[in-house]
Amino acid sequence: MNWLIVNVISWLLFFFGAAFPILIVLRVIGLTGFMRITRFESFHTFYYRMNPSIKIMLGLVVTIVAAVTIWWIGAIMTAVILLTYFTLKDGKRKFITGFFLTMITIIGTTWAFAPYTPYTILQQAFHVTALTGIWAWPSYFTVMGYQPELTMQGLIYGFQISMRFTAVSLISLVLVMTSTPSQVLRALNKVGIPISITFSLVVAMRTIPRIFEYIDTSVKIQFMRGLGSTAPKIFRPFYMLKGAIYAIVPVIVFLVRGAKDTAISADTRAFRAYPKRTNMYPITIGSVDKSALAVMTLVMLITIVAVIMGLGRAIPYS
Amino acid sequence: MGFNGISGVLNAPGEIPWELVVLFFGAGLIFVFLWGKKSGGLAKFTTVDLIYIGIGAAFAVVWEFYIGAFLGKFIPSNPFFGVGYMGRLIALLIVAGLVRKVGVGMVSMFIFNLLSDLISYGFSGEPMYFMYEMLTYGLMMDIVIAIAGKNLFGIRSPPRKSAVDKSKTDASKNSSSSHYLSKIPGVYLAAIEGLAIGVFWAVPEPLFYSGFIAPFLYGGVVDWQKIIFGILAFIPSAIILGAIGGVITLRIVKAVGQ
Repeated sequence: MNWLIVNVISWLLFFFGAAFPILIVLRVIGLTGFMRITRFESFHTFYYRMNPSIKIMLGLVVTIVAAVTIWWIGAIMTAVILLTYFTLKDGKRKFITGFFLTMITIIGTTWAFAPYTPYTILQQAFHVTALTGIWAWPSYFTVMGYQPELTMQGLIYGFQISMRFTAVSLISLVLVMTSTPSQVLRALNKVGIPISITFSLVVAMRTIPRIFEYIDTSVKIQFMRGLGSTAPKIFRPFYMLKGAIYAIVPVIVFLVRGAKDTAISADTRAFRAYPKRTNMYPITIGSVDKSALAVMTLVMLITIVAVIMGLGRAIPYS
Repeated sequence: MGFNGISGVLNAPGEIPWELVVLFFGAGLIFVFLWGKKSGGLAKFTTVDLIYIGIGAAFAVVWEFYIGAFLGKFIPSNPFFGVGYMGRLIALLIVAGLVRKVGVGMVSMFIFNLLSDLISYGFSGEPMYFMYEMLTYGLMMDIVIAIAGKNLFGIRSPPRKSAVDKSKTDASKNSSSSHYLSKIPGVYLAAIEGLAIGVFWAVPEPLFYSGFIAPFLYGGVVDWQKIIFGILAFIPSAIILGAIGGVITLRIVKAVGQ
């Protein structure tokens, strides 16, 4: 009996790590949520007035700070950046989507590290010899790379690692949500990246939300045609996933067929006709950019002081 | 003393000598350039090629970091099969089939890395990850494109009908059809070339990442038994996926009207 309980709970824990983030994605965020946070919408607040080069620089600063400092500095940055989502167009909804995305990252990363991290790394990270066991997995779980026991230190380790990614993901999405593709193109050209590379990059940036949009449409059409109509409602997320997978090839064909029109459109506007491009709207550094630069300088100085004071990265990379 | 999360360890036990790595990348780049020139695979990207590359990279990002990432949670971590890898391979095979020019692999991987790894994992360890992705997965794909020339996956580039010089067009058509790979039926050629790229793609993660990049970045001991097992374990699924990906590419490219 005990053997059965251990197995049932272990598999429930296994599926919690797998299914819970998927449930959040399908039920709370949805394909429209992904679309919302990966496409530009015009607005007037400070992120929208900021030079895209400064936003890229902001992303680099956040990455460096999250990588070299203790986990709770990453957590504070995550909270601050997430709060700034309220200043975006349709800020409340973007905040909620960003919040759930952060939750998924935390749960996903914690669950991706906690059962797998070798005890030697945990002992090294927490400067302890004895680890606090929470749950003993059935012995055959080691085939999947699991350690014999789930430990408290493993969970904390996974959580701390997630704090390296959450702030970076949120600030990177700010660039995508608040800059037009042509603004990014101009900014990247300014720093010397070849026009052909930036053009492909901008096409990719524009395509990501469109992929979600077309997959969403295709899934809805499949539901209208009766996909999973006889199945119980509880299985609807699985049919949604099935519909999304079925939609991939038609969406690829649809997008690729439209590529020629985009190419004609670009070529008729003299794309790559001359080695250098001139800009109708020159990129300038305004007061918002100067303020952002000042904040970045301050954050870097605080980071240096924090590292000197012993608040640098406390856990090893594995 | 490290830089941006790179420890710069060159003498970790078992680490592949850096000279060998540089030699491989250098020789690979020279090969794709020279062979691509000979086979006709080396040509300037047109605007539509750049758009195909952008779309392919976007699909690879959506699959590997959104759809595949969640599907992967249902499959235990294993050395035989990767859900994210599968989508990336097929997306880039489709781009390779549409563009069929040397450099498409490396440029696509650059864009993919910029939109996925950099956004999800941050700047730490760069530019090593860019070099790794471009000069392993990207270069391997470009090697196959260089060998296949314009006839990758059995897709023949249509001869340009020029009123000015029809005789030249005929000559190029003849030269294209005399390519040794053009004698194999399209669907088999697509499967074989997809399979070749799949096998090439099974090597970088265990060999280059575990054998050089990881110890170079973080130090540690290289476990060669694990590397050899990793390569051998991944090859069967890479063969199947590569072959299927090649055939899917052929279907999509035809549907697009090339």
